[in-house]
Amino acid sequence: MVPKDLLYTSEHEWVKVENSVATVGITNHAQNALGDIVFVDLPDVDKEFAKGDEAIALESAKAAASIYAPVTGKITEVNNDLDDDPALVNNDCYAGGWMFKISINDEADLAGLMDAGTYEDFLKSQD
Amino acid sequence: MEQPQRTFLYDQHVALGARMVDFAGWLLPVQYEGILAEHKHCRAEAVIFDTCHMGQFLITGPDAAAKLAGALTQDTVKLPVGRGKYGFILNDAGGVIDDTIIMRLADDEFLLVVNATTAAGDLKALQARLGGETQITVQASWGKLDIQGPRSFDVLQGLVETDLSQMRYFGCCRTRAGGVDCILSRTGYTGELGYEIFMPGQKLAELTRTILANPLVKPAGLGSRDSLRLEMGYPLYGHELSDEINPVEAGLGFFFDIERNFHGADALRKFTAAVTPTAQVANLCHHRQLVALLSDQRRRFNTGDAILCDGQVVGEVTSGVFSPSLERVVGMGYVQPGKSAAGQELAVQTARAELPVVVSETPMYPDGTCRMKLHEM
Repeated sequence: MVPKDLLYTSEHEWVKVENSVATVGITNHAQNALGDIVFVDLPDVDKEFAKGDEAIALESAKAAASIYAPVTGKITEVNNDLDDDPALVNNDCYAGGWMFKISINDEADLAGLMDAGTYEDFLKSQD
Repeated sequence: MEQPQRTFLYDQHVALGARMVDFAGWLLPVQYEGILAEHKHCRAEAVIFDTCHMGQFLITGPDAAAKLAGALTQDTVKLPVGRGKYGFILNDAGGVIDDTIIMRLADDEFLLVVNATTAAGDLKALQARLGGETQITVQASWGKLDIQGPRSFDVLQGLVETDLSQMRYFGCCRTRAGGVDCILSRTGYTGELGYEIFMPGQKLAELTRTILANPLVKPAGLGSRDSLRLEMGYPLYGHELSDEINPVEAGLGFFFDIERNFHGADALRKFTAAVTPTAQVANLCHHRQLVALLSDQRRRFNTGDAILCDGQVVGEVTSGVFSPSLERVVGMGYVQPGKSAAGQELAVQTARAELPVVVSETPMYPDGTCRMKLHEM
């Protein structure tokens, strides 16, 4: 089961939209596939990204992965708790393991994201 | 591509939910619960590794000791019964065909343990060097299980018919485990107290179930095997060692007597004579030294990344991994002479950053229990 109130990308990121700001993390499926997260290379606050840009380089004990900006905008906040405890991404991926917040320049960027039901179907199609 | 082979323990790995990968032509577990948890459990308690993919050559005959002493860097003539020794099969140029452990089980009986990827080439080289009187039997129907960790003695003592407290580091013997004839050695690849059990594959699968029923023990995969060996600074064939690298460059010359006559020794003597301090200057491009690299960050560097000194490329990373014990990235690599002393400050150029590293003494993890004296406990 994935949280109903979030949106999802095909790269297994979740996006929570509040007041024209998107909070971004990775899904349980993604953290499970990556294994123990050991390093999260957080972006600088105020850095601007275009939709689809790599915003974060993530490293697990066995792999590296990229997290992409789901919308075009500017970083408003990053989760500095991950510097000392990157395992939050494994243990609490939908809450304490959030990674960054980005302002949403154009709400139209959200159109391509999946709702929870669509994402669950997408996961099944990947099996 | 050929289908990867399944070890004797394959069904157990799958039943335990392991993530399997093709490693050296074998389906082996990368992890079960998680690499960090398995790594820490090995340092604190005990874990088991499926090492059935590794090659086991039983070498017998009245001349076996003398023949092997010429074929390997290990001096098998001087090796006492009940002892094992680490060393190399070298090619004519002194390059490493494989790194191995030879164990003397009896006056005329040895077990050579070799890497999976190199086993076929090892066999070919040995057949050419040992001659007809000395028999080489590939124990393909036997498997191997490594139990590693400070509690491995407690786990194993009740299962084996030998007094483990009398077995020193690199000791070996024929005994019984779980009532089954086996070969047992006090060896491993983690830096912790540990044992390797060699026995027929189906029986090894049964023994593995028994050992896993002990709550002290967790199964561990290739992921933690790699981070454990790198914290110790142990080389891995294909990364730190190859047929184009000789053991002197790899800093492993202390494992053998270079003045002794064995296959490849001539080339090694020429090599060391050529890299006296004066000649080093002229030979700079051809000489390299393996070093351990310690980062102060969690950000990883990878095999193939360039090693820099004052902005100039002076070497290349051969392995890099997040160290669960030290909570930062550690690795190994080859650097030019003059840059290999402990404390030397260098940098690694990754795809996205230049990471400061320092050359470290090994082991980088200093608290391993592999040499623990059990008879004084």
